[in-house]
Amino acid sequence: MKKRKWLGLAMTAVLAVGSLAACSSKDSSSSDGGKGTKITYWAPFSGADGPRMKNIVNSYNKSQSKYNVDLQIVPQNDYYKTVDLAFSGQKNAPDLMIMHTDQLTNYAEKNLLKDMSDTIKKNGVKESDYSPTAWGAGSIKGKQYSIPLDIHPLIMYYNKDMFKAAGLDPNKPPTNREEFVADAKKLTNESKKQYGFVVPTLWPNQFIFPTVFFQNGGELMKDGKPNYNSPEGVEALTFLSDLVKKDKVSPANVQQDGEVTLFLQGKNAMQLNGPWMMEQWDKAGINYGVAPVPQLGTKQQAVYANGHNFVIPASVTDSKKLAGISDFLKYVADNTMEWAKSGQAPASKAIYEQNADFKKMVQQPQVAKEFDYAKFAPRVANWGQISEPLFSEVNLALLGKKDPKKALDDANKKAEQLMQK
Amino acid sequence: MNKTSWKSQLTSSLFVLPYLILFVIFLLIPIIYGAWMSLHNWDLLNPVHEFVGLKNYAKIFDSSSYLHNLFFDGLKHTILFVVISVPLLVIVGLGLALLINALPGKIKGFFRTLYFIPYAVSVSVVAIIWLWILDTNSGLMNEYFQKLHLPAIPWLTDMPWAWISIVIATIWWTIGFNMVIFINALNDVSEELYEAGSLDGANRWQRLIYITLPSIKPTMLFVLITSTIASFNIYGQPFMMTRGGPGTSTKVLLMNIVDEAFKQRQLGNAAAMSLMMALIMIIISVVQLRVSNRKE
Repeated sequence: MKKRKWLGLAMTAVLAVGSLAACSSKDSSSSDGGKGTKITYWAPFSGADGPRMKNIVNSYNKSQSKYNVDLQIVPQNDYYKTVDLAFSGQKNAPDLMIMHTDQLTNYAEKNLLKDMSDTIKKNGVKESDYSPTAWGAGSIKGKQYSIPLDIHPLIMYYNKDMFKAAGLDPNKPPTNREEFVADAKKLTNESKKQYGFVVPTLWPNQFIFPTVFFQNGGELMKDGKPNYNSPEGVEALTFLSDLVKKDKVSPANVQQDGEVTLFLQGKNAMQLNGPWMMEQWDKAGINYGVAPVPQLGTKQQAVYANGHNFVIPASVTDSKKLAGISDFLKYVADNTMEWAKSGQAPASKAIYEQNADFKKMVQQPQVAKEFDYAKFAPRVANWGQISEPLFSEVNLALLGKKDPKKALDDANKKAEQLMQK
Repeated sequence: MNKTSWKSQLTSSLFVLPYLILFVIFLLIPIIYGAWMSLHNWDLLNPVHEFVGLKNYAKIFDSSSYLHNLFFDGLKHTILFVVISVPLLVIVGLGLALLINALPGKIKGFFRTLYFIPYAVSVSVVAIIWLWILDTNSGLMNEYFQKLHLPAIPWLTDMPWAWISIVIATIWWTIGFNMVIFINALNDVSEELYEAGSLDGANRWQRLIYITLPSIKPTMLFVLITSTIASFNIYGQPFMMTRGGPGTSTKVLLMNIVDEAFKQRQLGNAAAMSLMMALIMIIISVVQLRVSNRKE
């Protein structure tokens, strides 16, 4: 009896200690330790791109002994929460980190990012080595806040087998609105439940709707105010909803990822999505082609894009560390072929303009073709929140529950209210 | 004698200790910290947190503030879900428990486990399973409907179907918990009562109404309150299945609070909204307790 009591005591003690230990143990996937000045580097690459970035960091660490870059991968979903906590001083901030293009303005405006101009000059990282579009994303009011890693614009995927079956040339995807609609109609066969272009009603409209909007020559924000219901916007949304209603190249009521499911089943011939989808198509073994997004708008070629950039928190001042960071970034610019393997197109000219292996790849050079005319989210802090009403109204319009003009009027009103706070 | 009681007291305190530590770290401290936050203009990226008193709460009740819409639109949707789902969670849970209890011994365990399995998977898995089953254009459900020459139903993109789908997925996911609790309660009802009932000529239905239900009343109340609280906390199902759509019709309060906290980075506002939500939940639970105890 007595023995049992002590056993109970011991067990509870173990449990208590165990539960505490579980709280304190931190999950970090750091690369192997080494000598030299340590540079902590945060990235949200918790998917298939993670191992690619790890390889780049490891080979950099092996190539020299002055600096040691410590890559810590924070899961994508928690990334900005973790970053925000670091900036608000509740967690140790990293020395170098990845930031998406649509987030840059927000952090730069609050003076949380380091102006990299000096660091760049001293260490031979050159503006002319990168895509001007990608570089420009980081220059805000004459200061350079970021060095680009890649641009990921909207691109078009299409099913080559379906093109052949419909009597279309699988190597000639459509390039403008007329061709796109004509091809989509040929590819549609309602009796077989097969469609030319299944129109998504939720994600990735955050990329698709702005793309057509920009192609119409419109701007999402004008003079710091939402401009969703401008004629260009209404035209874009009318075009997309007519694909369902009038042209009937898409079924109605497409749910989240409904177009992806149909694409995987070989029942959706074309789809607009991001370069990150490549791996999923490869795994499914679809005979797919990749092409720049056709000019679906009426005025110009354009495409909505986001991108990965390197930024340094404003709190980093150690000159040794800064020298190490620029040394690392210079190395990355020349060695991002590894990054391209994840399906992304690096923004470094050494890769996308000069590397012969890169040009032989299927998807990545198509992505790079869009670099010159790619456009990013409007330069406002909190685009995420201001755009929220836009995309829920776009959802209603594409589900046929609201007239496009009325939907965009409502979205504009709600966004204005949000901006007033 | 004294010594043993001292010892046993220590032992029992030690048994409570792990829970107490976790309770303090993961509940008490965050609640107090949250209340503190809600009194400040707390921007996650701004190192200065200005004290504003009850201004964040005032904004929730000021109809010209966006916070007002965010809170009350979300609350409306959450309450709608609670009203539909809670009765079903209790009734279906009890129904399954009665059904399984009526089964012979060996199969009983099998079905009990079977119905409990979904409770063990995470909400993301639940959402993906139901997304595939309910897909309007390529889902299993509409495939069957088509075979029976019925029209396809837009399960996740039209009202009221979106709510129906979310409720179905929720019941499938969580019903096992309520069921197991009811099974235990049913097993505790004394056999003699049923025997006496049958002798007096009570049929099955009368035995259920006059013997079973009154005997498991405390359990019923427990299930009712825990289901209400769980339903108030709805987040994952609409977040993953409908993304709040069509439009914002299924955007529940917790989704709005999370957006306010981590998209807008206004922790002060979000904390005020959370505490208001907690207050509403507490009031409803107390009312449920009072109403059901009054009848005694």
